[in-house]
Amino acid sequence: MEQLVRAARRGDAAAMDALVRALMPYVGRVCGAIALDHGDDAMQETFIAVLCNIRSLREPAALHGWVRRIAVREAVRAARRGREDPVDPEGLRTVPVAPVDLATVVDVRATLARLGPRQRAILVLRDVDGLSEAEAAELLGVPEGTVKSRLHRARSAFVRRWEP
Amino acid sequence: MSDVRGRWPVASLGPIGRARALGASIPSAAWAEGILDAPYDRAWPWVADLEVSVPRFDTQVRRLRVLERRDAAGAQRLRIAASTFGVAIPFEVRLEDGYCIMQARARLYLVLMAAEPHDGGRRTRFLHLEAVPLPGTGLLRRHLQRVVDADFANLARLAAAGF
Repeated sequence: MEQLVRAARRGDAAAMDALVRALMPYVGRVCGAIALDHGDDAMQETFIAVLCNIRSLREPAALHGWVRRIAVREAVRAARRGREDPVDPEGLRTVPVAPVDLATVVDVRATLARLGPRQRAILVLRDVDGLSEAEAAELLGVPEGTVKSRLHRARSAFVRRWEP
Repeated sequence: MSDVRGRWPVASLGPIGRARALGASIPSAAWAEGILDAPYDRAWPWVADLEVSVPRFDTQVRRLRVLERRDAAGAQRLRIAASTFGVAIPFEVRLEDGYCIMQARARLYLVLMAAEPHDGGRRTRFLHLEAVPLPGTGLLRRHLQRVVDADFANLARLAAAGF
């Protein structure tokens, strides 16, 4: 991967294309979970930002974290652009819950859709990417306490959704 | 959370989005994008037969020969020679379903074609891009735009006539 980054930084279009292919599964997960219906747009914007700025990535080993930061930023931005009014997490308690089918993707999507983009970002960073609360806070530019409380509310939404 | 983690929505980047992202990062890149009046199942196999298709719609290529073809995971890697203005230029090619990237040796030239089914597969969204991916070539974009616009018009005409 580091070799690809070096070649992409030199402007090798085939290497840039290979880099996109290698990063697509990860970026697709981040953008899909945060931006939902706008995930495909977020993914395209992420790769435009990655490729346009690849020369600024001084240390190829830092690629993953650098791409993560861009993907989260673009996904939150795309979700906000296209969205739905801001969600009051407290209001989640009153959201009518349809009969639960644990096996459906639709359920996960519906639950995520009831959260705000930044809450979804925190969930992705903590529960999918495995970042610590401090790392997630640094990436999102919010205090660690904010991450803790948003994460708690976001997880609660899932728990409530899956409770019988 | 672990039981639902694998069910989270996943975004995707199709061939057209991939081509746009690459094009946006290369200063000289010019591309034409539009709808071909031909089903995807017919349009892409015709385009992917590079020896036949490229000389017919690309105004700068008289002849194209495939010198070597080998399978690579989910794609084919080709070595080709495209004759333009009497000179045969070698290109390295990666050909996938709906995506073809051709880069000349020493990165002197880049050609990219991407296609996706449109209108339920009855028509084809197509993107054709050309660039000189070398530093300081941004001023070529205006010239390349005329080239890709002419190529796309040729291709649209061929598609409408059933190739």
